[in-house]
Amino acid sequence: MAKVRPKKHAPHTDMTAMTDVAFLLLTFFIMTATFKSNDAEITTPTSISQIKVPDDKIMVISIDKAGKVFFGVDAQPTRAAMLDNIGQAKGITFTDAEKAKFALQSSFGLPLNQLKPWLNMPKEQMSQVKQPGIPVDSTGASELADWVYAARKADSQLRIALKGDNLSKFPAFKDVLANLQSQNINKFNLITGSEQAPAGYTND
Amino acid sequence: MAAIEESGGGGHGKGDGKVRGKKMSTRVDMTPMVDLGFLLITFFMLATTMSKPTSMSLAVPDKTEDQEKPTEPLKASKVLTLFMGDNDDVYYLDGIAADDDKAKTELKTTRYGHDLRTVIFASQKRINAANPKDKDGNEAFVVVIKPTEVSTYKNMVDVLDEMAITKTKRYALVDNLTDSEKEVLGDKIKPKN
Repeated sequence: MAKVRPKKHAPHTDMTAMTDVAFLLLTFFIMTATFKSNDAEITTPTSISQIKVPDDKIMVISIDKAGKVFFGVDAQPTRAAMLDNIGQAKGITFTDAEKAKFALQSSFGLPLNQLKPWLNMPKEQMSQVKQPGIPVDSTGASELADWVYAARKADSQLRIALKGDNLSKFPAFKDVLANLQSQNINKFNLITGSEQAPAGYTND
Repeated sequence: MAAIEESGGGGHGKGDGKVRGKKMSTRVDMTPMVDLGFLLITFFMLATTMSKPTSMSLAVPDKTEDQEKPTEPLKASKVLTLFMGDNDDVYYLDGIAADDDKAKTELKTTRYGHDLRTVIFASQKRINAANPKDKDGNEAFVVVIKPTEVSTYKNMVDVLDEMAITKTKRYALVDNLTDSEKEVLGDKIKPKN
């Protein structure tokens, strides 16, 4: 009688096809990746609007749920130029190292007098600082207006987008609006998530 | 294929007990590579924002420009006034001014979304049927949106969205309440705490 031997090899699945699929998907995700910015967590409301947010030449004013205002410009050279402009206007000189550091920040929410100490912190500490938001008030002449002016001076093509949190109160938005209107900016984009239009709605 | 079958000969491989020289396997174990692949996929899926945000454009009237041509005051009968209240409530006055005696009893409450849309459509239909188009061909229906300090940004976007859905061409976002409106709304617009 032949001895019954245990099977030598475990059943082996050919993983090649799976690898192919995995890497195909991986390639896709890498190519389409636009990273989430982790500066301020904002959940935007949704709208049926189909207009896409422009990719470049955009400044984003964000309002978080506590009503704190953050400001960000997309292009790094513009950021540096913007810092230069506001420094000149307010009589603050920033060193090249500070400018370089500032250019790396996608958005910030600090009063002008806290900006320099913040830029001189080591990188790890910078992200831990609780940013109090840019001072905004209803007069339309607060620091936000200065930043918008400095940014537009750096790049006059910049478009303005407002990104508000679902829970932020209307007065916060109103103050931001007052700051923009004081500079004759009357047209801007509100960043929203997309939502399905109700049944029966036709786009015309 | 990358994997080459080991131990040649299908039929007599098993059970014949013959000792053979061990062949070197050319099969590469792909499992760790698949693991790595999926790990990276997971990472990129979580780190990316897939749906690109959309935007709605908002144009506000110029404050600095002098109002050279004073526009005709709106007739209350053509206006639907929406007050954005606390807790996602909308109070509305349909075709009635806030200083009217009946305003207090006429003030109704609705919710965002479908309810509000129904209100707007009903009012739109009624007002446009009762009033002819003006000489520029605009419909008579006007919505005045009045955010209060207890309303949220989301409420405002929702109402603006509703304007787009109901195709209301003429609407105004007015952020100050008149005294009579304050009186009609009363405690409804006071911050609670």
